[in-house]
Amino acid sequence: MNNKATNTSPPRITSQVILDRRRSARMIMAVVYLVLLALVVWSVQVTVIEDTDWNRLGGFGKVWEATNRFIGLDIALFPNLIKPAIETLMIACLGTLLGVILCVPAAWFGALNITPFKPVTYPLARMMMTLSRSIHEIVWALFFVSAVGLGALAGIFAIAVRSVGFIAKMSAEAIEDIDPGPVEAIRAVGGNDFQVVIYAILPQVLPQVLGVIIFEWEINIRRSAILGLVGAGGLGLVFFRQMNTFNFHGVMSVIVAILGLILIGEALSHWARRSII
Amino acid sequence: MKILEVKELHARYSASGPEILKGISFAVEDDDFFAIIGPSGAGKSTLIRCINRLVDPTSGVIIFDTRSVTTLSCKGLKLLRRDIGMIFQEFNLINRMSVMDNVLSGRLGYTGNLRTLFRSFRRDDIDHALQLLERVGLIDHVDKRADELSGGQRQRVGIARALMQNPKLLLVDEPTSALDPKISREVMGLIKQMATELKVPCLCNIHDVDLAKEFCNKIIGLQDGVKMFDGLTEDMDQGKLDEIYAMEVL
Repeated sequence: MNNKATNTSPPRITSQVILDRRRSARMIMAVVYLVLLALVVWSVQVTVIEDTDWNRLGGFGKVWEATNRFIGLDIALFPNLIKPAIETLMIACLGTLLGVILCVPAAWFGALNITPFKPVTYPLARMMMTLSRSIHEIVWALFFVSAVGLGALAGIFAIAVRSVGFIAKMSAEAIEDIDPGPVEAIRAVGGNDFQVVIYAILPQVLPQVLGVIIFEWEINIRRSAILGLVGAGGLGLVFFRQMNTFNFHGVMSVIVAILGLILIGEALSHWARRSII
Repeated sequence: MKILEVKELHARYSASGPEILKGISFAVEDDDFFAIIGPSGAGKSTLIRCINRLVDPTSGVIIFDTRSVTTLSCKGLKLLRRDIGMIFQEFNLINRMSVMDNVLSGRLGYTGNLRTLFRSFRRDDIDHALQLLERVGLIDHVDKRADELSGGQRQRVGIARALMQNPKLLLVDEPTSALDPKISREVMGLIKQMATELKVPCLCNIHDVDLAKEFCNKIIGLQDGVKMFDGLTEDMDQGKLDEIYAMEVL
């Protein structure tokens, strides 16, 4: 009479168990959201309520008055903005180009599936990418201004170094995600490592990598527009001068010029993306 | 009783593109297990997708359960789709969700947005899901993520999800092409068994003629958007098959 004495399969899951489990999952989520809300409240308390000079701020009228000074354009300034605007665009282009060149080894070393000597090259590349991204472009620019002096060259270096982090990281990840099938096929016909890269890897990642480069170039226009603040050329330098001489309408003119430049950049990148990808 | 009637159905994907369906007419009775066979590119998937309007036909009439499918409002379309279960070739599961959540998603047509947000399904639905998972043999995989399962198991989740809707019609789109022959037969057997048991008529695209003959009582043969055969499985012979697949030989 040992019917099913050896049958030790776990008891069948019941709807009650599932309902209970879902309820406790919801409770946990509620707690998480409450904690997040508490953190937000705390941050507002410390940074906004305690840290603002409320006396200097005055009433809404005073805030409006201070802001109002910026409304209006210094038309006479525009002819003087053309050259710096072109310089800004050039810094962005050259910086991106140099960044892409630096990215080739970084992406190659930083992709787990093709890195030449994993214990050394992989951490090296990942460190390069992190370093590039964790330091702000203004700080990079300050660094290069002290290294090569005032002017656009420092801006180009700053942009290039700052670009490596993002482009190389995305490219390396694209390389890691490729379909291994074509790699196998090229190896099977007797191809060497270089041929594998050219035939099996590059065609697969090219659209993604180009998209990332175009995106980064667009961001770099924004970056190069402010690098002048620390003496690295372009529109930022004019901006800094207008601010220092309290010509608030001039400041606004520079902002409009930057806006125009960025719109041009976005239009170009939209067009480039469509025609390449 | 007729559950579905299709008359003179035409479909094309763009105004300049080729016509995919060229005037298809047929009717499904409420105890039918219909196979739609034909070479790839014949329009099998398009035909099945016209019935729940995943593809909009360009002209023709579809009557499902007294409702005119082609003229439904947005709301009416949702109510229609609620009544029609669909099983897909590539399973179309939500890979990052659990098997349970995938099966429960079959009830979304009956679930409000707030409940959806908190994944708070009714006890009846969970009971039903467990019953179905037991029936398709996945009761021990309730908590697994859908992408941890094998192909055959995933299709079983797909079947359970479709049946969760308590459908009045099952649309089955190449349920076995992503599976090996042994599993294919099992999955077809399961669909057939569940459909018979729950009295749900089925419309099943299948390119494997042997499976169609084994499991289905009626067959529609499509070739290049035209119906070449429509009748009982017994009446299908080699000559008619050769005619349907004639283009493939060329």
